[in-house]
Amino acid sequence: MARKKEELSRWRRFKRYGFAYLFILPTVLGMLILHFFPIVQGIYMSFLKLNQFTFNEFLGAPFIGFKNYYTVLFDMNSPVRIGLMDAARNTIIYTIFVTIGTLGFGMLVALMVNRKFRGRGVIRTLFLFPWIVPTYVTGLLWGFMWQRGVGIINIMLVDWFHILHDKPFWLIGPNTIWAIIIPTVWRYWPLSMLLLLAGLQTIPEELYEAADIDGASPWKKFWMITWPLLKPVWSILILFGLIYNVYSFNIVIMMFGFGAGFPGEWGDLVMTNIFRNSFLQWNFGTGAAASVLLMLVMVLIVLLWMRLYKSSEEYR
Amino acid sequence: MQISYYLKQKIIHQITNVIMILFLIITLFPIVWMAYSSIKENTDILSGKVALSKAENRTKFIQLDGPNIYFCTQDGGVNKFKLKDLSRDGYVSTQTMATNFAVDEKYVWVSSANRGLLKFDKENLKKVKEYKLPFKDIDISKVAGTIILNDGNAFWYSIHYRGFEGIMKFDKQKGTFSEIYELANELSPIQVIRIFKQGEVLWISTNKGLLKFDAKANKVVAATSLASYLPGGAGVLVASSGKVFLGGANGVFVFDIAAGQVVGRYQVEQGILSNQVESLISDGDQLYIGTNVGLSIINTRTNAVKNYGNLFNPVAEDKEVTKGELTAGVVAVMVKQGDKLFVGSTIGRLSEVDLATGKVLQTGVGKEGHWIIAWRNYIDMFKNINFGKYLWNSFFICGVSMFISMILATFAAYAISRFNFPGNKLFSLSILATQMVPGIMFLIPIYIMYIKFTELTGIPMKGTYFGMIFLYSAFFVPFSIWILRGFFAAIPYELEEAARIDGCSPLQVFWYVVLPLAMPGIIATGIYIFLTAWDELMFAWILTSGDTMTIPVGIRLFVGNYQNRFDLMMAAATVATIPVMVLFFMLQKHIVQGLTAGAVKG
Repeated sequence: MARKKEELSRWRRFKRYGFAYLFILPTVLGMLILHFFPIVQGIYMSFLKLNQFTFNEFLGAPFIGFKNYYTVLFDMNSPVRIGLMDAARNTIIYTIFVTIGTLGFGMLVALMVNRKFRGRGVIRTLFLFPWIVPTYVTGLLWGFMWQRGVGIINIMLVDWFHILHDKPFWLIGPNTIWAIIIPTVWRYWPLSMLLLLAGLQTIPEELYEAADIDGASPWKKFWMITWPLLKPVWSILILFGLIYNVYSFNIVIMMFGFGAGFPGEWGDLVMTNIFRNSFLQWNFGTGAAASVLLMLVMVLIVLLWMRLYKSSEEYR
Repeated sequence: MQISYYLKQKIIHQITNVIMILFLIITLFPIVWMAYSSIKENTDILSGKVALSKAENRTKFIQLDGPNIYFCTQDGGVNKFKLKDLSRDGYVSTQTMATNFAVDEKYVWVSSANRGLLKFDKENLKKVKEYKLPFKDIDISKVAGTIILNDGNAFWYSIHYRGFEGIMKFDKQKGTFSEIYELANELSPIQVIRIFKQGEVLWISTNKGLLKFDAKANKVVAATSLASYLPGGAGVLVASSGKVFLGGANGVFVFDIAAGQVVGRYQVEQGILSNQVESLISDGDQLYIGTNVGLSIINTRTNAVKNYGNLFNPVAEDKEVTKGELTAGVVAVMVKQGDKLFVGSTIGRLSEVDLATGKVLQTGVGKEGHWIIAWRNYIDMFKNINFGKYLWNSFFICGVSMFISMILATFAAYAISRFNFPGNKLFSLSILATQMVPGIMFLIPIYIMYIKFTELTGIPMKGTYFGMIFLYSAFFVPFSIWILRGFFAAIPYELEEAARIDGCSPLQVFWYVVLPLAMPGIIATGIYIFLTAWDELMFAWILTSGDTMTIPVGIRLFVGNYQNRFDLMMAAATVATIPVMVLFFMLQKHIVQGLTAGAVKG
């Protein structure tokens, strides 16, 4: 009797699981074909001498071990390496500034719109506008605004407000790093604001009242109450900020070289560099090697983030 | 001084408000600038001009009419001045292109390329009627001018347009155009510039030469090439007693009607102020020549020349364009009455000149031209690139991908949030892991896979809708699952339990209980997928071609091909932004709720 009951429940469980497996089956298939399989291929490709001459053989291209990795990391004479190192440096600067910038502006505006004032709903919506603009449009638009002679930014800086004497080049030379950071911050901070605002609204008012009674300054209230309580939000934002910004592509590619994407020494990012290297110069082997390295770095970053997040959670 | 706590709070509040508004303005500025630049003329953008430019109000037509004088400018403005003191009595602006004018007993007629023939009441300048031009397949923006000549009950009508060789009659009473009389002749192809009527003969000035047109028989009788005298054709012409005077860039030429050829020329050596002839009138023996610096009068019998230079006060270059205080010296149009000459300048000023002394007696100021808003940029953009097609491709690919991945993600998210099946952890983890892989990592193998697959099976993958939809659907599923999981987790399990006890099968529970409750989250996720897919450039760049290009790829290609056409670029950018803006506005609540719900729960 008992055995029969157990059997029934097992069958039931199987039935239930079968249902679940059926539900995830299409997704799993899709992920196998378009995620898992390409990743394995990509990793394998990074060991092949795959360029325009051997492209037709694809996976049958000559196996050259870690040569691609050597080229990407250590070959001082390789143009691929030089470009990629510049791009890596830019990406680090870019990611740090953009992540801090989006979070900072997002926090600032979230605090400002979390008060009571007239037209609050409208203003909150208006603040979200940049985030709706597609990223390729952002690149195009800011590329136009950064133009040396006819761009509105130089016209403002030089002709209207007389901050500078000469119109600087924004899309050539070291200034380019700012020319890509600022639009990215502009495009992404509304999302931070939205999420932080939602987080702010969950903080109970009593905490602030208690702090008021204790005579805490606004500055102190922010750092002792708001910021720690928003941790789930900003830690997620930092993680996604890191991932999205390291993999940033559209804004840079649209801003330079009229959409061809030649951002030069100070504007190139790792993704745009690999993309050009792979699809404009057909160096798929080194491209794959660089992508694998990038992926490894990303896994490291995520693991580090998780460890920090977990450890601080325990501490609390 | 002691400030009360509440006052202090209030001041801080107000200051924060001001900072917030400033911040809002800075934030929105780029978007406004994009839309604004898309309606500017590209020449203005390239010359660094920030403001919109105004339509040029060069004088086009003057007619004396009893106590009034009608003064019409190129931008479509009709000024009605009082003859007595040249004060403006009425004004109407049609804001038309390639405008020209005629005034008859009752009406002011405005002919234009884009709005056809407009009829205004002469007294109150109210629009009476609008007649369409009988042309088809004509690019309105390329019409250099319309020509209208009053002839009793009819108008002679033609347009200055490459590829149009004809003239028509417009019946004023019936309001209809006659058939197009052919002007083709041995000089063809020609473009009509100006018409002058003398008796039963129309003298037609074209870019190649002078045509004699019989107004009774409606055909060209003679054509004389002027290529060696006036290479661009005569801009102005006037006929009197056996001669036709032709004015243009090289001076005034005399065409003898009887001899049928050019017999003489008035030019600098003979004392005319400049070679550039802008207007001509003939009165008996006197020939009045308006030039780009002033006025010359020639007695055609004795060849005596009288010059009036600088009829108008010259103004500084920069002032002239923006403000147009008085005017540059160009005499654009003139009309003679008695010993008075009424002269119109190139920037919309009408002056009365005393012929005896050559002094300007008084000046009337025409209204400035309207702001030019270049809506045409949008039309040009759609014409130059296949933008409609890209738009449709984007809608189709993003829309279908959105539906497919939403459905798949709903099932999968429900499964992993409700059933603790073996492999659940692994699946959830792999979903997160896919988000950490750079897109380029997938792109290279998928690109080669698509090509190889086509080589093997013959089914096209790269550059097809199916290939793109397959890719996007599969790509956006993991992230959607990740968002949706939270929504499903938030649905109380007791509800499902209750439904099951009531005898629902698992599928029924999912369909009737869970799905409706999770709908807001599913919608939010769907919109998010759509927005992300709309924004996707890298995969679309490599994996679409020709017919299947999405907007980002199309814009990228367009930007490469039309460098420095910032007006069209911004128009394209605006058009690419509008659909997502509209979508956002319609479903704003869902998006905000969906996103924040996921984030705050962690």
